[in-house]
Formats: sequence, C-alpha cells, structure tokens
Amino acid sequence: MNPSDQEKMSEKTLDAELVEQAKAGRMAAFELLVNRYQQKVANVIAKFIKDRHEIQDVAQEVFIKVFRALPNFRGDSSFYTWIYRIAVNTSKNHLVAKSRRIQNTQVEFEDAESFAINEDYRNLDTPDAVYSRGELEQTMSKAIAQLPEDLKQAIVLREVDGLSYEEIAAQMDCPIGTVRSRIFRARDAIDQAMQPLLSEESTRKQHVR
Amino acid sequence: MSDKSKQNISELMDGELTNDCSRFLLKRLQSDDTLQSSWNNYHMLRSCLQQEHDAPLMHNLGASVISQIASDSVVIEPVQERRFNGWMKSLAGSAIAASVALVAVLTFNQTRVENSIEPLPVYAKTSEQLVNPPNAAMVRVEQPTRYTRFPTLTPQIQTYLSESNNQPQIPVYYNAEYANKIIIQTRQRARQNTAEE
Repeated sequence: MNPSDQEKMSEKTLDAELVEQAKAGRMAAFELLVNRYQQKVANVIAKFIKDRHEIQDVAQEVFIKVFRALPNFRGDSSFYTWIYRIAVNTSKNHLVAKSRRIQNTQVEFEDAESFAINEDYRNLDTPDAVYSRGELEQTMSKAIAQLPEDLKQAIVLREVDGLSYEEIAAQMDCPIGTVRSRIFRARDAIDQAMQPLLSEESTRKQHVR
Repeated sequence: MSDKSKQNISELMDGELTNDCSRFLLKRLQSDDTLQSSWNNYHMLRSCLQQEHDAPLMHNLGASVISQIASDSVVIEPVQERRFNGWMKSLAGSAIAASVALVAVLTFNQTRVENSIEPLPVYAKTSEQLVNPPNAAMVRVEQPTRYTRFPTLTPQIQTYLSESNNQPQIPVYYNAEYANKIIIQTRQRARQNTAEE
C-alpha cells in the first residue's frame, strides 16, 4: 500500500478532489461541493444584501458561475478563497443591477417610506416557505441546545472555533478517538432530530410539484 | 447504512480521514442517497453554527443549483479555448502595437529623406531671371518689402511695374481721402493760377 494513502486527506485536498470530479462532469460531486460551502457563501452575500430571498437567489447564481468557471480553478488558492471572490463580485453586480431597476421604477412616496421601515421583514417568500424555514432553524437550535454538554463543547470547538481534532483533544483533555466519537455523535443526534422535518418538507415539495 | 460509514463522513468533512478511505467514500457518496443526506445534514449543522445574523440558514442549495444547471443546460467553459483566446488576444495586441510602431518609423524616415533631398531655393532677383528662371521647378521670387497701391497683385507684376514704370508709388498707408483732397486742392490752385493769368 502506498504510504501516502494512510495520510489524512486535508480539507483542501478534499475540495480539490471534488472539483476534479465535477470538472469531469460528475454533477453529484458538484452538489456535494455546493452543500459544503452554501452557508459560507450566504454569509458573504448577506454582508451586501439584506433581503433573505435575494440572498438565496444570488447564492444560486454564484454557484452557477462557479460551475461555469470550474476549469479556471487551478488550485493555487483554496476553493473557498476562489468562490469568496466570485460571491463578492456577484453581490456587487446584483446591487448595481438592482439600483438600475429601482431608478427606472416609479415608486409612490408612501410605499417607499413603508418599504424602508420594514427592511427586516421584507421578502418575497411565500408564507409557507417562511414558516418551514423558520421551523427548520428552530428545530436545529433546539436540537443543538439539547445536546449533552461534552458533545456540544466538542462540536462547537470544531465548527465555530475551527480547531483540529488534536487541538480539541488537548483542550478537552481526552484521547483523540473520543473527540472523533463525540463530534460524530453530536452530528448524528442533529441528523436524527432533523429527519422528520426534512422528510416532511420533501413530501410537501413533491406535492407542490 | 452503518454508523461506521456515517462516522467516516463526519471525519471526511473535517479532513481527518485517510486518503484511500476518503477516495472510496467520495465515490460512494455520489451514488448513495442516504450517505448524501447525512453529508447534507452534517453540513447543515455546520451552517447553523457558522450562520451569521443576517444570512438565512441554507439547506440543500446543491439540489436547486443542479436542477437550474440542467434546465439551463449550462456548459463548463473549455479551458483550452479560453487559453487560446487569451493567447490570440495578446498576439493581436502585439501585432497592432508593432504595426503602429512600423508606420511611425517609416513616416519619420520618409520625412527625413524628403527633407534631405530638397535643394535650397533659388531666388529670381531680376525680371530676366523671372522669365527664364535658373531652375523652373524650384524658383522663388524674392519679395522685397514694399508698399503698393495694388497689394493684391502678384509679386511678378509688381516687380514688372516697379521696373518699367517710373511713376512714384503711393504707400498704401496714405489716407485716400487726404490724397484726393490734396489732388483737388492742387487742381483748384492750378485753375486759380490760370484764371489770374
């Protein structure tokens, strides 16, 4: 067996592998990439755009641009650095296009005033979509809050603080195998908690179609 | 699906799985819906923990992106063609720059050659030289500064007039009214003198 096979595949190498497979036309690989970076991209877009519905649209546009430009990604920088730039440019372009649209639209003074005041609540989602998304976030927050303390600490150190397993083991004063297990159990507990809601949502989508 | 496979996914997304296991699992992930679901949900937990205040919680955006790509039949831009285009663009730019430089050099040299070939002008100083110039192509008429009552006439005719006619020239800066007045006064005096006689 090649000794390099026993080395760990870093996250950067994992992204590079997925990119190569996506370049080869494997759409499933690209889907894994999108779901891996969707939140980071949404966070970047949210710095420019406040409307949540628009953020989702722009995020979709970003990933379509990423797909088109995949052959240009040579791996000099990390995949996230590359898509970060695309996300920033797409957000700025969206704002410019939107300002043009607004300039060309006549808005009554009273409408404009109420539009500005209700900025946080302004979106074009259907009530159903807003409800399901709110429910998703609530269920997720509740499931995280209900995690045992050691699992919660391990997953927060990993996902929020970005520590490696070794660093978490040092911080929690436990073997690295225990860290692996705790992080997995935390994820699995959330997965189990989300299953009923997600299957219900997929059923609802099928009905809508 | 076994817990071991799920734990492998958990380690894979953190970069904590060995290369060979990772490659194997990546292949399985692309064909196994249950594994994909776990991958998505594990990442959704990550999304929730990393979610910033203004951003919505993203969930399974990949599916809608893939369906959008499929419906729009988005095509990956071939990289070689782009490189070729870039190469062509730079080549075209160089060609334009070179041609502009060539035109500039040729024009400059031609001007210098023309300037060097052109002989010094020969001025015709007399009317004979004017009629039979030493070099008809390059003859110039020397134009002395003079005031004439016919400033619009050609220099040749002016020279002819000045050489053949002894009448004094009246400078153009003379006031015509004043000259007429003088002439009239002179004529009146002449008439008075004639009458007195």
